[in-house]
Amino acid sequence: MTQEVTHWLDNLLKEIEGIEVRRKSSRRVRVDVPADALPALLELLQGRAGYIHLSAISCVDWIDDDEFELVYHVWSYENHSLVSAHIRIAREPGVYLSVYDLYQPAGFFERDIHEMYGIQFEGSPNMEKFILTEWDGPPPMRKEFDSEAYINEHLSWQEYNPEWLQELVAEGGGVIIPPEEQRFSQKKK
Amino acid sequence: MVMSRIQKIPVVEEKKGNPLARVFDDLVRFCRSRSLFILHYCTGCGAIELPPAMTSRFDMERLGIQPMVSPRQADILLITGYVSIKTLKRVILTYEQMGSPKYVVGICSCTVNGGMYWQSYATAKKLDEYMPVDLYIAGCMPRPEAVISGLQKLMDRIKSGEADSWQDYYQNYDYYLGNQQKLFGEDWQTPTDIITEAKHYELMGEGTLGEHTRLLEQHQNPLEALEMRLGHNIKEPIE
Ligand code: SF4
Repeated sequence: MTQEVTHWLDNLLKEIEGIEVRRKSSRRVRVDVPADALPALLELLQGRAGYIHLSAISCVDWIDDDEFELVYHVWSYENHSLVSAHIRIAREPGVYLSVYDLYQPAGFFERDIHEMYGIQFEGSPNMEKFILTEWDGPPPMRKEFDSEAYINEHLSWQEYNPEWLQELVAEGGGVIIPPEEQRFSQKKK
Repeated sequence: MVMSRIQKIPVVEEKKGNPLARVFDDLVRFCRSRSLFILHYCTGCGAIELPPAMTSRFDMERLGIQPMVSPRQADILLITGYVSIKTLKRVILTYEQMGSPKYVVGICSCTVNGGMYWQSYATAKKLDEYMPVDLYIAGCMPRPEAVISGLQKLMDRIKSGEADSWQDYYQNYDYYLGNQQKLFGEDWQTPTDIITEAKHYELMGEGTLGEHTRLLEQHQNPLEALEMRLGHNIKEPIE
């Protein structure tokens, strides 16, 4: 039965142009599609293969390629399988279409990605702040956002090996890890 | 593992007089240390160690420590883990509303130095920059035994009168306010007027006023009593 379904699904996916299907296991498929073919793919999966559950949209910032990768994970309760559809969009201007009309939960995911990466989703019902309501800096998950620089400006580091820690160590507690071994930015130098 | 950091506060020489006054103070402090209410406000993942610490397994109540739901009636503000910057604002408001004497206990490494969120833009690194902390209980997360031993240490300090860092908030308000302004922006204002309170309790110190409090005064909105309101709009007739 499962065998049949997988064959059927693989054949179905071939209907989309420029698609690359990689079957990870009997219940997981990774597909890479050109960005403009994604709505058609999702429509096909939802309408003809029962992939009615959009579990998440994830986003990766590939700053060296100047691209964002968006991954749409759709699940089918009938086939018990997950299809992850990967697309790449240009980092600038960072605009893509909303899939809200196909999957309503996408509204939340898109709002979250907009807040964290600054991507605009055209046609999404609400692009206002979601969780970072009191944040006015740049979208913090973009790779060019320098978290350490932000901390240096707004917060301060705990002193390294402060006096009270030495007291504690003398009492037999406390662990010391020098900052060079801990901070990635200092490791590189 | 317990550690503490209290800034030294100049002790006012007590007037010599009734020798029983000391005894009475000691008694008050003893009673205070045996009846502590912890504010039910949990910030990070460390909070998960509190239910076992409070309930029958480790039973904090045998030490006289109980949870309390409102800040006005609580003695201890337990910060149980990382404080995101959004949470920190609420924590400060809560702290300011608690009645003195009040004690802050930072549980978890995250309150000491940011813990595993040391590089995160969204969490505060040093809790004691924003409010005076009486005691830290480090660990990721500390076991209930550690929490209880830390609270016992706090009880000892209350009994001996050492746990007085709440006065530090009044006496060095400018320092704390400066750190708050650095993080939340210059127009930061809480609904509690700390300077007036400090005057009222005669806790004005050298560090109460300074450049940051001047900045606050420039834009401070006068505080108004909150409007009393029920859950629904009163103007609409109830069916
Ligand atoms: S110290 Fe560990 S357990 Fe505690 S809040 Fe931080 S991450 Fe969570």
